[in-house]
Amino acid sequence: MKVSYYPGCSLHSTGIEYNISTQKICKTLGIDLIEIENWICCGSSPTHQSDEILSIALPIKNIANSKKNNNINEICVPCASCYSRLKFAQEKIKDIEIQNKVEYIINSKDYHNVTVFHLLDVIIKKIGLDKIKTKVKKLLSKFKVASYYGCLLTRPPKITEKVKYENPDDMESILGVLGVENIDWNMKTYCCGASFALIQPDVMLELTKRILEDAVSAGANAISVACPLCHFNLDSRQKKINKKYNTNFNIPIFYFSQLMGLSFGISPNRLGVFRHITKVKEYLFNKELL
Amino acid sequence: MKINNKLEGIDYSFAENINKISGQNVYLCYQCKKCTSGCPAFSFMDFSPTNLMRYIQLGLKDKIFKRNTIWFCTSCYTCTTRCPQDIDIAHIFDTLKIIAKKEHIKINNKSILKFNMVWMTIIKYFGRIYEPGLIAIFNMLNNNPLQNFDLAFKLIKNRKIKLFPSIIETFKMMKIFLNAKRLK
Repeated sequence: MKVSYYPGCSLHSTGIEYNISTQKICKTLGIDLIEIENWICCGSSPTHQSDEILSIALPIKNIANSKKNNNINEICVPCASCYSRLKFAQEKIKDIEIQNKVEYIINSKDYHNVTVFHLLDVIIKKIGLDKIKTKVKKLLSKFKVASYYGCLLTRPPKITEKVKYENPDDMESILGVLGVENIDWNMKTYCCGASFALIQPDVMLELTKRILEDAVSAGANAISVACPLCHFNLDSRQKKINKKYNTNFNIPIFYFSQLMGLSFGISPNRLGVFRHITKVKEYLFNKELL
Repeated sequence: MKINNKLEGIDYSFAENINKISGQNVYLCYQCKKCTSGCPAFSFMDFSPTNLMRYIQLGLKDKIFKRNTIWFCTSCYTCTTRCPQDIDIAHIFDTLKIIAKKEHIKINNKSILKFNMVWMTIIKYFGRIYEPGLIAIFNMLNNNPLQNFDLAFKLIKNRKIKLFPSIIETFKMMKIFLNAKRLK
């Protein structure tokens, strides 16, 4: 199955493990990811906070590029923030006035009939749990994982078209097939404050602390995420949080694609797990994966 | 947006302006506080999102821009998702930020405007965001040059950051920004 692939800026730098592991598992599952040639930044939060028309034009430009270069009507986006921006743009461009403006800005009219999927949707809807089951080589039986979705994967439901937006369970159903024990917890879709990481670090630390606290007290020994910004925040701020709040967090944060890769028998090194800031070596050793 | 029974002494032009820019009608809000209950950043705000909606209804523009509330929205869309009147509250927050920038309104904490400005400049010339550049320039402008300095070493060591920017379609990007500017 061929899909256009829009990695987004984070997956080429701080979220590089997500990119590596996504490519690996998609190869195993038979998904052919074709990266959009010359893709550009989707604009992210700074754009929709300062220039509405550009925040629609930049994602639409990427969709037009995908159509022009790949001639595929489906785009797979692993980053929750990029996914949200692309979906928002598709919704807002239905307005004729905005449409005319955007077409003038990007100088292209061919961006229609394209469906944007998040990586989770591609795996669940296009591949299905039965096929995943056939690829599982090792059961991750000692993993107690809290699945964290963050804000933009499910919200607002009008844009993301998700039915279960307050208590989603897509990630849990995949992880369940891998033999993971899913933890029931409260903060699945709570905001981690990633957009404030540089602007208001105090807000970000407090929000991230609330999430880590809830996951640990619910009995999780790892957290699974599907967004590079959530991952960076939960993974790299634990030391700072421990210092500020006198806590003792040392919980590994995995991308769900890394957990899938581990279960498919791909070596941890090739999934980028050793690039995390919170160390996972001991954890994997205890679970007999090293 | 048509307002019936206008009361004397209330400035309706602010709400009408917001309606014009965002398409959202603040007079639909009946102050149920669902947005505030779900807001993760409420504990940091001077007043709640519910109060914000009321202030807009009453045209109290000064009160809104003198306090920090609109700058603490994390764009998580919980309020928008849960509003029983279907008001896109997060979009109203964005609209207020755009108005503040456009009208050069004096605000106390300029860090978010600086961050957005640096971000937009980088994508304008490079096409994609270049994180080391973003962090370095923003920290410098924000008078906090050593913020996240400790983390930078770890990121380089773990090969988690791109040391050099990729330059993608600079001329096309600049054209897009120029065209957007022309439309204003």
